[in-house]
Amino acid sequence: MAAALSAWENGARRVFLLERGEELGGILNQCIHSGFGLHKFGEELTGPEYAERFAQALKRTGVEVLLETPVLRLSPDRRVTAVQRGGIFEFRPRSVFLSMGCRERTRGMINIPGGRPAGVFTAGLAQYLVNVEGYLPGKRFVIVGSGDIGLIMARRLTLEGAKVEAVVEIRPTLSGLVRNYVQCLLDFDIPLLLSHAVSYIYGEERVEGVVVCEVDSKGQFIKGTEEAIPCDTVLLSVGLIPENELSRQAGIPLCERSGGPYIDERFATMREGFFACGNVVAVFDLVDYVTLVGEIAGKHWKESEKRTPRFRLLPGEGIQIVLPHYLCNPRQGMLFIRAYRALNKAHLLFSFKGKVFYTFPVPVCRPSEMLRLESRRIPWPEEGGEITVEITGEEIQGLS
Amino acid sequence: MSESYDVVIIGGGVVGCAVAWYLSRFDLRVLLLEKELDICCGVSKANTGILHARSYHTPSTLKGELHLRSLPLLDEAEKELGISFLRCGALTVAFSKEEETYLRILKARGGSSGEIVTPLEIKNFEPYLSDKVYAAFYDPETRVISPFKLTVALAETAFQNGVEFIFDAEVTAFEEDGKRVSLHAGGKKYTACFAVNCAGLSSSRLAWLCGDKIEAIKAYRGQYFVLDKMFAGYVKRVIYPVPSSESKGILVTPTPEGNILAGPNFEEADTTETTLQGLEEVAQGARRLVPSLPLENSITHFSGLRPTLPDRDFHIFFSQRFPGVLHLCGIESPGLTSCFGIAAYVGDLLRSRGLRLVEKRNFEYRKPFPVFSELTDQEREKLIAQDPDWGKIICRCEEVTLAEVKHALLFSPGARTLDSLKRRVRTQAGRCQGSFCGMHLPKIMMEVLGIDYRSLVKSGKRSWLLAGETKEVNFSA
Repeated sequence: MAAALSAWENGARRVFLLERGEELGGILNQCIHSGFGLHKFGEELTGPEYAERFAQALKRTGVEVLLETPVLRLSPDRRVTAVQRGGIFEFRPRSVFLSMGCRERTRGMINIPGGRPAGVFTAGLAQYLVNVEGYLPGKRFVIVGSGDIGLIMARRLTLEGAKVEAVVEIRPTLSGLVRNYVQCLLDFDIPLLLSHAVSYIYGEERVEGVVVCEVDSKGQFIKGTEEAIPCDTVLLSVGLIPENELSRQAGIPLCERSGGPYIDERFATMREGFFACGNVVAVFDLVDYVTLVGEIAGKHWKESEKRTPRFRLLPGEGIQIVLPHYLCNPRQGMLFIRAYRALNKAHLLFSFKGKVFYTFPVPVCRPSEMLRLESRRIPWPEEGGEITVEITGEEIQGLS
Repeated sequence: MSESYDVVIIGGGVVGCAVAWYLSRFDLRVLLLEKELDICCGVSKANTGILHARSYHTPSTLKGELHLRSLPLLDEAEKELGISFLRCGALTVAFSKEEETYLRILKARGGSSGEIVTPLEIKNFEPYLSDKVYAAFYDPETRVISPFKLTVALAETAFQNGVEFIFDAEVTAFEEDGKRVSLHAGGKKYTACFAVNCAGLSSSRLAWLCGDKIEAIKAYRGQYFVLDKMFAGYVKRVIYPVPSSESKGILVTPTPEGNILAGPNFEEADTTETTLQGLEEVAQGARRLVPSLPLENSITHFSGLRPTLPDRDFHIFFSQRFPGVLHLCGIESPGLTSCFGIAAYVGDLLRSRGLRLVEKRNFEYRKPFPVFSELTDQEREKLIAQDPDWGKIICRCEEVTLAEVKHALLFSPGARTLDSLKRRVRTQAGRCQGSFCGMHLPKIMMEVLGIDYRSLVKSGKRSWLLAGETKEVNFSA
């Protein structure tokens, strides 16, 4: 929605927004908790409220919204084939904006062995069943992973009268936002087991419990620490993956690390006429950033021809993701950086040809909270080339 | 009061359904009793789905005989059932000169169909195969099918041709009733001239209920990885190692749907749980064949059970006490391959005991329901014009439409559980494993089947899905 709005505001007059869902807003519609829009609007909105602002704004434009219209195919020459109850449609626009969001990692991807009973859900699926459909998927829960959706579901389920036995996190640190840890677990006395993993799910027909085990620093189970937790439901909140099946079809080069297309500061991909925005590029921690990125991309809708990048940004020591991957015009845009570890008194180091040319202080950094930096603040070298971004600091243990 | 039939089949696995399909071409009253809520819930639901070639038959066993009898029937079955096998062929790879001698045995057993190929020849079509392969036997005859698709197609064809299906009906007792046999199942009594015990893992228990002597069926588990469709084509043929005395070994195979399967190991266990150890063994076995196999991109794991008797053969025999009861015990691999041969053999045996097999004039081939993901856009347009539900995608990973889900729920013997929908139309079978379509399926099932949330189950009767409604507050109290 942000990209469509931004394109419209910047002069585009034939804009189609293809949405597979029955309503605009995607996953925001099932996020009925508040906390959205602090950056964008300076107030705390719920997900549907946040989405509604954009849906309303769109109504005041000539953007044509097609609901329940999933895209079936995307070709490298920008042929978009979509389907709806009315038939099959084909578009061939000047610019395509990819904003398919992300999907949840599943049990199969994290190798939890055991039985295959009913009662194993991804946290997002459970959230939909509770918040949209109005059903409780169980009564006694164990949540695997401390991602934000899992933390928020822990609170939500408790408020609905269910019991959350524990949130089990394999890493020594929290995966979600600290504010969600405080508001969703601490406030409700829900135990968080750091450096723990679920090693087995048992149950014949419905989940009967899980085995939880301590893990060492390499994530290996420590023998003798197994403990059974009876429960009837397991929720998985073990990470999100950008949904790039269509990008792949269109032959858009993807970055394995961020999970989405390689992009420049305009969020243009490496293929002509394709932009990508939001969680399809990489998983952002705040919807405000997702919006911001959509706005940036939309602004450049006219620029369907490729540009030659001046810099390539490479994640160095301590860094998971640096966005964008390429800079054509370093005076423009915003950098998003995610660290691997939680650090105190940290510094971001930018180096060119092995020499640090810029240092940016970060008092506290956590993997769950992206660092944001305006590109024009950085004194980029005259010459083009590869820039490595690193982060150093004092490692934080646990939640302190 | 009891219902009366010519033949009652016990068990709705691939063998039971094949027998039902075979008998449905004759003027007979046939009933299939299944203890679960759907067909294909036991042994048949979890296996590799390979239709093993002639070279893989076990000589001088009943198993081998029925395997061979089945093979010529496959092409006809494809037409009648409206299904298609993936004709991918198979490579059996040897890692040493000693192992190579086994390839010659396979070649001899397979007749003229296969050939021994060198590593250089293999690399052209299987570039990811291990460099350590010494030689391989290529058999083009090997085919692959989804075991669900096959079982469902058999059941649907049988149903369409008059076979009755009753679910949630576990056979608990047999009774003599003059010349006929009576079965107690699910609180009811059914009488028939013949009963065919196709109960898989429960088959020896049922034989014991008849007072027959047969050794206990033992379950051997095999675990599997299922890879994301993104890797379709990574392996193009079934890749077998040289088999052991226990099993055909841990192999890697494409599926007709575009996934890749790796497995199964061979271990003594009677539950379908997966274990870290077992999966690790499978990973090692699979990587021995295809070292770079992207197992980290598996979308799920599962395990299946082999119902075996000590001599590892099929045992098909009439009951001593109930002359009308035919037991099929120990139908392990290649049970799927042999199901057509088994069905024809069962027909012969029943005929030899006096069952009149008069061919129906109006036996109908199955007209398969269209599969949206396999259609051209023109075909899709046509369907959408007839019914807009064809334009509503429910499962985005596998591109399953509302029309297909509704048909699977309403067409009998229809899907009553989430897993049976998966087996029929592949909802929840894709890379998101139901995180997306799982949002919408409960509501669709409740609406289409006219049930409330308490009756929604994943597979078995106690596999409930939802614990209650939110805000269940009674304001009048």
